[in-house]
Amino acid sequence: MNSNIPVLKVENLKKSYSGRIILDGVNLEVDKGETKVILGPSGVGKSTLLRCINMLTLPDSGKIWLEGVELTNPNTDINKMRQKIGFVFQDFNLFHHLTVLKNVTIGLTKVKKIPEEEAIKIAASALEKVHIPNTLWNKYPAQISGGEKQRVAIARALAMKPSIMLYDEPTSALDPQLVGEVLQVIKELSTAGMTSLIVTHELHFALEVANELLFIYNGKIVEQGPPEEVFANPKHDMVKKYIASIYSRKG
Amino acid sequence: MVTLEILAISMPISVLLGIALGTARVYGNVIIRGIASAIVITFRGFPVLVTLLLIFFGLSDFGIYVPPFWTAVIGFILCSGSYQSEYVRGAIRSIDIGQSLAARSIGMTKLQEVLYIILPQAVRRAFLGITNELIYLVQYSSLAFVVGVPEMFAVTKTFNSLYFRPVETFTTLAVVYLVMISVLVVFFRGIERRLAIPGIELTTK
Ligand SMILES: Nc1ncnc2c1ncn2[C@@H]1O[C@H](COP(=O)(O)OP(=O)(O)OP(=O)(O)O)[C@@H](O)[C@H]1O
Ligand SMILES: [Mg+2]
Repeated sequence: MNSNIPVLKVENLKKSYSGRIILDGVNLEVDKGETKVILGPSGVGKSTLLRCINMLTLPDSGKIWLEGVELTNPNTDINKMRQKIGFVFQDFNLFHHLTVLKNVTIGLTKVKKIPEEEAIKIAASALEKVHIPNTLWNKYPAQISGGEKQRVAIARALAMKPSIMLYDEPTSALDPQLVGEVLQVIKELSTAGMTSLIVTHELHFALEVANELLFIYNGKIVEQGPPEEVFANPKHDMVKKYIASIYSRKG
Repeated sequence: MVTLEILAISMPISVLLGIALGTARVYGNVIIRGIASAIVITFRGFPVLVTLLLIFFGLSDFGIYVPPFWTAVIGFILCSGSYQSEYVRGAIRSIDIGQSLAARSIGMTKLQEVLYIILPQAVRRAFLGITNELIYLVQYSSLAFVVGVPEMFAVTKTFNSLYFRPVETFTTLAVVYLVMISVLVVFFRGIERRLAIPGIELTTK
């Protein structure tokens, strides 16, 4: 594959809900191995942007490419392309009726049609990466902690061997003492070269993990750059306020 | 025993029909949804008795002769399936949208999502309603006598008209139904326990 093309490219993406403009021409690119973090106040459309990227929400206009394949082209087999986009939800969305192991293998056996035995091997390796011990494999989602659920959800996405991982506030639904274990896993994956696009309010984590921060406001990306630069010298008013408010909240 | 034969055939098929109709009414395209809704509205609207008479006499007007036994089986499947489908439809609607989003996010097609993620959960939620309908089906299976099926009620009635001991005969019949239903209840309980998802209380204990 041509290494010059970005893994993900979004061009002039627009989305409104009943006349209210949420995304007003978003452009972004994520290259192989990069981790970008999207920041911005509540309600600006960060989740909408992520859901548009894997077309769980249909954009009104604009184009999206994954490794050069245009997802927004109606002739593209979007189900096939979604296999390559790992998506991690705020509230985990593990399949309630399946064990931990089955949650991870079902995409392999049913979607990729990989034989059960091989699927289990792939799942085992994914679960290992998120530090889920095999003593939990036969538990059901209702029997494990929130942090474990989210790590299983990450494994479910990882097992599909995605080209990019999208995380939508992966720790917002967690008790504070469980946040660390999930962020740690995401960081490890990222450091190991997993291309990632992360929405989070965890600023310290963002600073550690991001190659680039993207601030979204009024439907557009208003500021972007390496974390040190943005923090040292924020230009946009919203960004200044956002950084200040988070620091004052943390005390 | 004719009653048992009728039930043994119509119960499982009515469950399948109920699941199919309930699913079609949520996920079908306009045409499929329309057909499924028409079936459900019709057979929930007609009294069971009338449905049986229409299948038996109505179809024979078109030159189609359905034997009494099969009239009863078909009628019961349509009625019970239609009622059951509403529990299934409600259960599908009650499943959190996140389950669907997660299924799509790993690349499942709509069909895969419904088969592997939504229905296994929805059928569990609809289970008590479905079993309730099945027990009700046992009760109204006695209506098969109107098209001349020699099922339990018809036999009992004949017996009574010969010996005229109404209290004894019908009490015996009632006890037989009660036993049949009790056996079913135990059976359903067993399935319910096997379907239960560990960690989730789906049903009242
Ligand atoms: N399906 C929908 N229908 C109508 N409006 C919606 C829908 N989804 C989101 N919105 C609106 O779009 C706006 C952006 O929502 P979104 O969830 O993308 O924000 P966000 O940046 O992720 O916020 P948060 O930080 O709270 O998660 C919100 O005002 C929300 O009310
Ligand atoms: Mg959000």
